[in-house]
This record gives sequence, C-alpha cells and structure tokens, in this order.
Amino acid sequence: MLRKKPLFAALATCALLLSACGNANDSKSGSGAASPGASAKASEKPGNVELRMAWWGSQERHDKTLAAIELFEKENPNIKITAEYSGMDGYFDKLNTQIAAGNAPDLIQMGGNIMEYVGRNALLDLQPYVGNAILLEDFDQSLINEATADGKLYGVTLGVSQTALLFNATMFNKAGVPVPNGESWTFDDFKNSALQISEKLGKGFYGSYDLSSDNASFTTYLAAHGKELYRSGELKFDKQDVVNWFSMWDELRQAGAIVPAEVQVANPPDAVDKSLIVKGQVAIQGASASQIFGYQALTEDQLGLLPNPAGPAGNGMSPPVSGQFITSYEGTKYPEEVAKFMDFMVNDPEAAAILGSTRGVPPSAKIRDALSAESTPIDKILYDYISLATKISTGNGYEHFPYDNEFIKLLKLTSEKIAFGAASIDSASEEFMTEMQKMLARANQ
Amino acid sequence: MGKYKTYLAGYAFLLPWLIGFFALTLGPIIASLYLSFTKYDLLTTPEWIGAKNYVSMFTDDYRLKDSIWVTMKYVFLSVPVRLSFALAIAMLLNQGLRLLNLYRTIYYIPSLLGGSVAISVLWKQVFDKEGVFNQGLSVIGIEGPAWISSPSYAIYSLIGLSVWQFGSVMIIFLAGLKQIPTELYEAATVDGAGKVRQFAKITMPLLTPVLFFNLTITLIQSFQTFTKAFIISGGSGGPINSTLLYSLYLYIKGFTFLDMGYASAMAWVLLFIIAIITGLLFLSSRYWVFYSDGGK
Repeated sequence: MLRKKPLFAALATCALLLSACGNANDSKSGSGAASPGASAKASEKPGNVELRMAWWGSQERHDKTLAAIELFEKENPNIKITAEYSGMDGYFDKLNTQIAAGNAPDLIQMGGNIMEYVGRNALLDLQPYVGNAILLEDFDQSLINEATADGKLYGVTLGVSQTALLFNATMFNKAGVPVPNGESWTFDDFKNSALQISEKLGKGFYGSYDLSSDNASFTTYLAAHGKELYRSGELKFDKQDVVNWFSMWDELRQAGAIVPAEVQVANPPDAVDKSLIVKGQVAIQGASASQIFGYQALTEDQLGLLPNPAGPAGNGMSPPVSGQFITSYEGTKYPEEVAKFMDFMVNDPEAAAILGSTRGVPPSAKIRDALSAESTPIDKILYDYISLATKISTGNGYEHFPYDNEFIKLLKLTSEKIAFGAASIDSASEEFMTEMQKMLARANQ
Repeated sequence: MGKYKTYLAGYAFLLPWLIGFFALTLGPIIASLYLSFTKYDLLTTPEWIGAKNYVSMFTDDYRLKDSIWVTMKYVFLSVPVRLSFALAIAMLLNQGLRLLNLYRTIYYIPSLLGGSVAISVLWKQVFDKEGVFNQGLSVIGIEGPAWISSPSYAIYSLIGLSVWQFGSVMIIFLAGLKQIPTELYEAATVDGAGKVRQFAKITMPLLTPVLFFNLTITLIQSFQTFTKAFIISGGSGGPINSTLLYSLYLYIKGFTFLDMGYASAMAWVLLFIIAIITGLLFLSSRYWVFYSDGGK
C-alpha cells in the first residue's frame, strides 16, 4: 500500500493540473455566455468579429486614429477593433516577429517598404474587394500603382506625403533671417541661413540638425548633383560624392551652425518629444511632411515645411508619394470586414474629418475638397508644400537599396565617426563605400 | 516492480518541467542550430547555405569586431568591480548591525529592479548631459561630460549600472560570511593577527567557494546583457557602436536586418565563448578555490 502512494500522489497531481487547465478553458469559452449582455448581442448579430490594427505615429495620430476606430465600431456594432500602436522605433521589428509567428494584426500600416512585404507574401491581395467594398474612383492612378504588383492591389494609400525639411519659423524671425523661398533655394542658401541663425541667436542655438546622418537628405543631395544612391543593381555615386557630402556638414559643424554630436545623440530629431526644433533651439531638421502635425502639437512656435535645397541638377526630390498604406495580413480571418474598414478610413466623410491629414494629404479628391473647406493653418502648410513639391521635384523616384536598414545604420555610423572626430572624412567615406559595395555584392549574388 | 513504480512517480512529478524543457527550451535551441546554417529572413523559408554565416562572422563583419571588443570591456570591467563592491557591502552588513534586515532589503532593491526597462530609462535621465548626476558635480565645480551620448563614456555608464545592481551577489556573499565560524577570528585575534591579515588568511580562503559561484554566474549574465544597452542607446548600440553589446547586435541582426540565420550563428558563437571561459574558470578553480571539507 505504502509503495503505491507516490504514484498515486503523482497521478493526483496530474489530474489536478489537467482539471485546472480544463477549467481555464471552460471559463474562457464560457465568459461570453456568462455575461448576459454579451450573449444577447452575440445571438442578435451572429459572427462577432474582432480585428487588430497596428500603426506607428505620434500621440496626435494615435488620438485621431482611436477616435476614427470608435466611430467605426459605433456604426458596425458587430466589429471590434483592438488598436496596437507605438512610435516608429521597433514597429517593424515587432511586426516581423508577428508575421513569422503567424499572428500579425489584421490591419497593418505600412510605409515605403510595402513591396518588401508583398515579396514575402505577407500581405493580402485586396483586388477582389476593389469596386465593391473598397472604392478607389477618386484616387490618382499613381497612388494605386504604388501599392500594385502583378496587377494585384496590396494596400490603400492613407495620405500623400514627401520628405521635407521641417523648420521653426519663429526662430527665423527671432534671428531676423528671412525664411528662404523653397522654390529656388540652394545648398549655399541653406548654409547661409544655418550660419546666420546660430550666429545671431548665440550659444545653445543651432541653424540645423546635423543631417549628414539622415538618409533621405543624403539621397536627395545625390540626386541634386545628378547622381543616385542605387538603381537596377548598381550604386550610382562614388566616393567623392560622399566626401563632398560630409565635408559640407563638417564645415557647418566647425562653424557651430549645426547641433554637436553629443547633443544630437541625446536629442535625436526623429523622437518628437526630444527634438530641439520643438524646444526652439534648432531651426531645421529632416522629416516626412505629414509629421508636422505631431511636432506642431508640442510647441507654441510656428513650424513650416521647406523642400530640400537645390544643387546643379535641380532639387533632386522625388514627386510626392504615398506616405503610408493600410494593408492587411495575408492570414486574416475576416478579409471582408478588413476591406470595409479600409474604405471607411479613406472614403467616409466623418472619418476623414476626424483623421484630417495626420498621414498626409488624403488620397481621395472628394475628401480633399471637403476638408480644404475647413482646413487648419497647418493643413494649409502641408497642402501648399505638397503642391510645391509636385511642381518642382526633379528626381526620378527613389529605388530602395536592397539592404535599406543596413544602409541607414551605416550612414549614421559614418556620420557619427566624423562628428565625434573618431575618423577623418576621407577614411570614413572610404569605409562607407567598401561596406556599401559588400552589401551590393551580397544582394546581387 | 516496486522500483519501477517509484521511478514512474518521479518522472510523473517531473513531467510539467520536462514538457516545458523539451517544448520551450530544447526545441528552439535545436532549431537555432539548424537556422544558423541557413539564410533566413523570418518571413520566407530558410535556405541552407552551409557554414557561410560562421565564415563571414570571422572574415567580414566590422560591426561584430566592435561588438566583441565592447562586450569584453563590459564583462571584464563590470564583473570584478561588481563583485568587490558586493563583497565590501556584505562585510559591512556582517558587523552585527542593528536593523540589519532593513539594510539588507534596501541594498537588495536595485537588483530586484535591475533588469527592468524603467531603471534603464531612469539611468539614462540621471546620466544625461543635463542630468541629476552632472548637476551634482556642478555643485562642486566640475562640469561633467555627456555620460550617455559620448562614445568614450557610454560604456562606463552601462558598467556603472551593472555595478549598482550588486544586491543578489551581496546576499550570497553575506550568507557565505555567516558560515565562517567566529572561533577562527577569536583564535586569530588571540594570536595577534590584525584585521587585514584575518581577511586575507581566514575570510578570503573560506569564502572562495562562494566567490567562485558568484564569479561564474555574474560572468555568464554579463555576457548576455541586453536590456540596459538596448534602452540606453535607444536600440542602436551607439554612439559609434560604443554600447553595441553582443546580444544587442544579435538582436539588430535578427530583427532589424532580418538576418535570422546569421543571428542564430552568433548565438552559438556566444555560447561557445561562454563555455570556454567558464571551462577555464572551472579548471583554474582547483588552484584557488578552497573547500573546508576537502571538496568531497
């Protein structure tokens, strides 16, 4: 009898564990039935649907998007949307993991890297819903093309945007420096403005962030000088271009016109709450045009948008493009509801009024007209900027470098090495070229 | 028959742990070994490429070189300082103080909070250029550098954070100190040995098993440090790779550059490095670790 005891105890433990698990399952599946309200709802509207939606942005965008979701849920009581929002930092890291694990959100905000995910079969083909659930009649064809591959649509543009230089107009005024004319300004004008502002305002104030680490600024600079970062499997610039780029910034650095390396690391421009442009200490930084809403929300100073300065080959900017898309995970269980929500975001007048231009200029002409009637001054700055950029852009459109993330990190590393004085411009540029060539070889093999 | 049943019972009790080990630990470990020989971007199927990941780690990865150098600096500075600090505090607390339990709790708190994101965020603020630490320094007329955002100091702020989390090591030291029979000290005092001599001839030798344990555990933990570096550098390992600890670089490779095969290979190389260093430590232990029962 005694001998049997341990076995019995073990079995009892197992039984306990199992029953505990069983109970947990029961309570989970029963929780809906347990609350009378929920069960009544469920029987009224069969097929309650729960969707998850992921996006990145600043607080201002979160607030507006959450309000739009709330409106949608009110109009569609059988659909519940769980929001998964964050800053840009780590957004794609998390998304990649979710996709690999097969539990990505049903609705995913994407950026210019949408085709990367199409190539990996991660996104749902929306073509079957176009014309019935998703109406795109009021869209520019170019915006539809951007999200189309092999005749299938994979994303709906949420807004038109373009890279820009975000500037603090109040600081320009304080320094008595005229705001440059975006249509015609050149790199020399840019340098002069930066030098004058830092000189007039004194210690602790800078004309510009150190944009030598900013990939958008670098690629636009190349285009403004008749070069390109990458096209059809080749690098379209050489070491001298890199040296020129970093020398231009080094000159400004020596003159105290741009943010010193240590300060920039502690207050990176892309973190809205840390950016010194918001604190009125730096006059110019790089950004996507639609981000102006997030920055403006945090400061009393007047912000504005300028195109990149022009070089010998024009200003090198690409024509405005879709800033962001709403896409769907290929494995979603509710493609119809997903399509319905996508259409709601871009075509519903009430939703449009809530969302405004937080993701760029709305893609539907009808909505645009409706909004411009009640546009805020910031809306107007964005709209004007996008029309200006459309008018003056000379670039051919940016072709993504195959290892874009690695290129962005490498440019930042090179820039930091020079800014902290850890390497000369020449040797750092040499290293930059070597590493770019290595990545290219890896991509082309 | 009876024996068989006892075994069965034992395994039945172990079952929950065994299931966890095989499904959640061993499975992924074996999968990562396979993945380390593939090109795998997380989203498409892995493609077998042989030892290429391992080869390129040692032949053409400038970041990895930086990363190993930073990690070595971090481990070999933070471990000795952390252990000495913990031992010093443990000896202070072993003086038969009143309110000993209170002090013990207070000193242990940083370790409880240690791995957390919140402390790293706090650390970042304290050691910022305009942070509390530099404000303190400015009172006595010193202008402190930007501890976090300068490539020459950033790693030291990480080391400082690691040393500050000395609590768990200290508790183990304290337990070890309490094991040392007081008669030994009394006899030594009678024989005229001073405090320093007592420390060198009694405390240290009798504490070596505990020291060995702490050293091994801390060393392994330090090699795997991730959270601090990730939060304090904003996920970049910067400025200029100065805080690019091995685990952080592994993460960037896997989740930012989507090179999961390479990241898996890195994990195996780290395991290998830790195994070698721990192995050397065990080999050396017979020369300096003293077990009062003869090690039986």
